[in-house]
Amino acid sequence: MLTVAALAPGALQQRLAGDGLRLRTGRFSVRLQADMPSVAAGIGQLYRDYPLLQDDDFADFHLHLVRPRTARRWLRPQVRLHCDGYEMFQPMPLQHAFPMFEWGLNWCVSSRAHRYLIVHAAVLERNGRAVILPAPPGSGKSTLTAALSGKGGWRLLSDELTLLELDTGLLVPNPRPISLKNASIDIIRAYVPDAVLSPPVRDTSKGTVAHMRAPGDAVLRAADCAQPAWVVFPHYSAGAATTLEPLARAATFMELAGNSFNYSVLGAAGFHALGRLIEQAAGFRFRYSALDEALDTFARLHES
Amino acid sequence: MKADVPLLLRALRAPQQLAGLPPAGWDLLLRQAANANLSATLHDWLAQHGMLAQALPQAREQLSWAAVMARRHRQATYWEIRLIGKALAGLGLPLLLLKGGAYAAAGLPPAAGRLFSDIDILVPEENLPQVEAALMRHGWVGTHHDSYDQRYYREWMHELPPMMHVLRQTAIDVHHTILPRTAAQRPDARLLRAAARPLTGDAAPPGTAILAPLDMVLHSATHLFADGEFDKGLRDLWDLHCLLTHFGQHEPGFWEALPARARHHQLQRFMFYGLRYSAMLLGTEVPPATLAAMAADAPPPPLLAVMDALFTRALLPHHASCRDAGSALAGFLLYVRGNWLRMPPLRLARHLFHKAFLTPKNSQGAAA
Amino acid sequence: MPVLWQLVPGQSLLHRSWDGQVVLYNEVSGATHLLDAATLDLLHALRDGGLAPEDWTDPELQLALAGLRKLYLVEPC
Repeated sequence: MLTVAALAPGALQQRLAGDGLRLRTGRFSVRLQADMPSVAAGIGQLYRDYPLLQDDDFADFHLHLVRPRTARRWLRPQVRLHCDGYEMFQPMPLQHAFPMFEWGLNWCVSSRAHRYLIVHAAVLERNGRAVILPAPPGSGKSTLTAALSGKGGWRLLSDELTLLELDTGLLVPNPRPISLKNASIDIIRAYVPDAVLSPPVRDTSKGTVAHMRAPGDAVLRAADCAQPAWVVFPHYSAGAATTLEPLARAATFMELAGNSFNYSVLGAAGFHALGRLIEQAAGFRFRYSALDEALDTFARLHES
Repeated sequence: MKADVPLLLRALRAPQQLAGLPPAGWDLLLRQAANANLSATLHDWLAQHGMLAQALPQAREQLSWAAVMARRHRQATYWEIRLIGKALAGLGLPLLLLKGGAYAAAGLPPAAGRLFSDIDILVPEENLPQVEAALMRHGWVGTHHDSYDQRYYREWMHELPPMMHVLRQTAIDVHHTILPRTAAQRPDARLLRAAARPLTGDAAPPGTAILAPLDMVLHSATHLFADGEFDKGLRDLWDLHCLLTHFGQHEPGFWEALPARARHHQLQRFMFYGLRYSAMLLGTEVPPATLAAMAADAPPPPLLAVMDALFTRALLPHHASCRDAGSALAGFLLYVRGNWLRMPPLRLARHLFHKAFLTPKNSQGAAA
Repeated sequence: MPVLWQLVPGQSLLHRSWDGQVVLYNEVSGATHLLDAATLDLLHALRDGGLAPEDWTDPELQLALAGLRKLYLVEPC
């Protein structure tokens, strides 16, 4: 199976600038067109191990990053994102092009893939059992995810989009780069020395953003699903002691529903899938500040 | 007429032709369908014709996603109709549903795979103030508060300014006739109401009614051809095609009565176009006798030639693959539409994602 | 004359119970509710005809049902 790495840099850039690069991320196939060096660099670095698809293959999502042909082109260059012909978002400064692709692809999946209950959460697996980490932005979820998958021995299934397959109740991998913000970037650079990080992009709406390549065999094992075993709501708080408190099942259910993109679209099927997950997976609130202690807690959780 | 019939039209006219379609073909077909707001409809259509099992698995997968959304829309529409019925219960008026709401409540073919937006109802003009007041008592508020807009709707159009429910963020359009006051044609609103048929069954609250088949078809054709915007053109034409086919088969005397009814409502020109382009693009089987009876309602030949050129472009999917040099002239390019996010603005879980990272282009549309 | 109540037609009370708490899927409105076990028992009783004439006159019961009405789970007969 050919991967993106098989393309010489020139060839990669050519495809992106032309008819598009087609690749597979977990269950989804993506066609990306983006005639801009930062995107080519980002893809080359972070998507190196992803399966390459043929030019005439079906693509689930067509993403097209364009530079508008206006005076802005030279003065304050912008980038616009078209998802299957629709422009859903405001233009962004050109240097935000790669993050825009990441966020745009997340948006495409989370708004359409209704085979799954899609939770705004990270999900990681160890020995077939998975922990789901729902968290609003800024709660340290991504830092924790980077640490758990980069150093803690957990396999990354996803950093942003937890896909719970309605029919089977399994968690389906959707491995993609982990997005890190502001202070987390340096923290992870230090904590996970062999992490591969994109150059930081400054002044986004979330501050400075960098993406970490999905570590270990996350991409290689994208077809290996996992059973849900734990739901942990993380809260980072500077100086906080590490605590893990069990959460009542009904409360876990409601919080997960509230953290889902498409729970209300799925109707009864979503209700049943979430109910089944709650039967299988224990819920916890997790407070921490030290990564070593956090990784330790998860290791013990796994052993229990 | 363009030389190449777009894939989507071929799929709608003859779904069996899709056997052996290569992956790139399915990719294009799904894009055209999404653009035309016909994804879930295509799902149901292919299923009906035994072609879903033969489709490319990834295409079948995507179509099933759309079907989930359509199912949710249908549930929300029944619910909304129920609540509107409750709000208007004391007024002694039938709840006369139009368009999508009517198709859903009556289980008519255009309801299949549909994504619904506003609910449209028809009430007597003299009852508009009470209807508006009753809706406001139950949580709907007016929109378009600008005095120009208010006048636009109340004096010149045929409806109240759209009302929105504060909690559910759903919209209702209250009409008193089916064409703007400013139009040259004057449909007979009294007949529309008098000929309306009561509905029974689970999806319809007591007192619900829909237009008679002839009027429903005329409304559909008028809605499409009196309008200047065709971004939903193919979807609307598909509705018309489904209604014509359904009533043609199930309503005795339908084809025979259509020309005279069209003329009574002064809508014969729109109906002429409706029959012509539905047949031309979607293969609707209109009996020769009806076509002959409507021939006098055609525009003069030079105008008809122009209309053909315009409509056969404007009614195609507005996807790049279906456009030619004439397309920009014929309609207008509409890329920026939250089309597949358009649902009755339901109380959805927060779109954490877009709040967190990206600013939606049209916050009202995308933030549903 | 006390108000008599019934489940809104279409509700089959799809629910899950854990530790005295209940999540319930409202098939009519599409919403999901967090309720306590006692409320679920009341809904079951309503469905199965388990309420006696003297129950209807209980003001607390009427109050509870008026609350459930806002969720479109119950309606007056």
